[in-house]
Amino acid sequence: MSSHREAPEISKDPVADSTDVYAFVSPEDPGKVVLIANFIPLQKPDSGPNFFEFGDDVLYEIHVSNRGTSEADISYQFRFTTEVRNPNTFLYNTGPIDDIASEAWNRPQFYSVTRVKDGKKQVIKRNLPCPPVNVGPRSTPDYPKLAAQAVHKLPRGRKVFAGQRADAFWVDLGSIFDLGALRPFNQAHLIPLATMDGINSVQSYNVHTIALQVSIDELTRDGSVPSNPEAPKSTIGVWATASRRASRMYDEKTGTYVGHGPWKQVSRLGNPLVNEVLIPMAKKDKWNASEPSGDAKYAKYVDKPELQGLLPVLYPDVFPKLAAYTKPRADLDAILLTGIPKGVVPGFANYTGAVKADMLRLNVAIPPATPGTEKPLGLVGGDAAGFPNGRRLVDDVVTIEVRAVAGLTIPLVDPNYTPDDAAAAVQDGTSYTNSPLLDTFPFLGHPGGGYQTTPGTTSVS
Amino acid sequence: MSETSRRTLIAMTGAGAAAGAVTLAGGGSASAATPRPGRAREAVVAYIEDHASDRLRLLVGEREVVIRDRDLVTRILNAAGGQ
Repeated sequence: MSSHREAPEISKDPVADSTDVYAFVSPEDPGKVVLIANFIPLQKPDSGPNFFEFGDDVLYEIHVSNRGTSEADISYQFRFTTEVRNPNTFLYNTGPIDDIASEAWNRPQFYSVTRVKDGKKQVIKRNLPCPPVNVGPRSTPDYPKLAAQAVHKLPRGRKVFAGQRADAFWVDLGSIFDLGALRPFNQAHLIPLATMDGINSVQSYNVHTIALQVSIDELTRDGSVPSNPEAPKSTIGVWATASRRASRMYDEKTGTYVGHGPWKQVSRLGNPLVNEVLIPMAKKDKWNASEPSGDAKYAKYVDKPELQGLLPVLYPDVFPKLAAYTKPRADLDAILLTGIPKGVVPGFANYTGAVKADMLRLNVAIPPATPGTEKPLGLVGGDAAGFPNGRRLVDDVVTIEVRAVAGLTIPLVDPNYTPDDAAAAVQDGTSYTNSPLLDTFPFLGHPGGGYQTTPGTTSVS
Repeated sequence: MSETSRRTLIAMTGAGAAAGAVTLAGGGSASAATPRPGRAREAVVAYIEDHASDRLRLLVGEREVVIRDRDLVTRILNAAGGQ
């Protein structure tokens, strides 16, 4: 998955587990940037009575680097507080929730938004209500209304939303993590099976989303709205983190944990699939706790990815050119760790300097594609507004990254290399079959409802 | 770290461990501790990561105070006891 349960330690702490980060120029307001960080993976909608919610004991942050250092120049912090309105019921709601202020919602959640710049904290707003989760037609009969009520306007033309959404990521988990199999290419696998379409493992699950829309000039280093895509100030780096207190003590008087000490980062996410697929298992937890600006020590796993070596083994005779390629993967290094310098793709750059750091790199001078005309393969598909220029909800990052690892992007930096034919064809066979995306902020689709959920099937053999 | 704050810490450690029936031998020192105006007024977690070192981490609020005081570390280790 992009970053769902991607490391051993964070997989035991889903409330703090970041799943995906998106950053794109708003298609509904091109003067603004949308920053989205999703947390709490693989939420089965019918998970009552204690439905999913943000952690009151977790510090959620979205960071922006704009000076080419890969350090956080601006951070937006989100802290949550949960209330129990009626302590004498086990119910999440005691009647239909027809408004986010409804007294029938027994466990409302509120949050604050704080902006940190140059070490100075400014609380933008407190006590912003989240929407409830989508329980079902009796409890949350008009979910789009509840979601709309949870879109809050903030000073300086900002918008914010925090609450449950449908996951927008799509991937065939069952096949990929069964020895790197891609169902459409099953017969070419070392252990062949019948070829079949991919299965989107994530389509029916929800996540918890923090979405923030801010003016471009709030994020650039000089407060401008850049128009030259090749100017260094046009590109910002974006990543999300979650942190917990250094110590948790169990308070047996209340049956809850109490945090002590400073916040310690436990989850980090910039580009999709980096920690998931490129970083070795023994390093993943430490990677999650570290800063992007220190990623040089992980560059060897990008320059010579394990998956690159596995593909020719798993698919014999399919990737002979990739198998013979022994140079460091400067293409992946540029895409994931430094950004693409000008001159590689005509009219485009998102280079942020020599500091190797896993960040989404968004060139805010590139206007958004007209809605409906986006190309899911993003930059490699000829759409400069898409991944790895930031990341949009429609970008097919699994296909892009699998093809990149398979060698498709090597000619960007090594024109003498001709990729294997398969490099342009590999895919997991899935497409976006998740909840329909919205045309307006926060853009992610409405979460699936608990009552409406039908279970999948279990098949042992 | 002053002797006063050391004693304050030990007193707090003993109080926090009361459920485990740990009782600090007074020895007269704890009773001599004088609370300072700037002392912590909330729960404090003390953490000795390496019993052979002089390093003590105090987690208080959203802060961490690191102290290097072998004497204080030793007194806490004595209070904690062994297997």
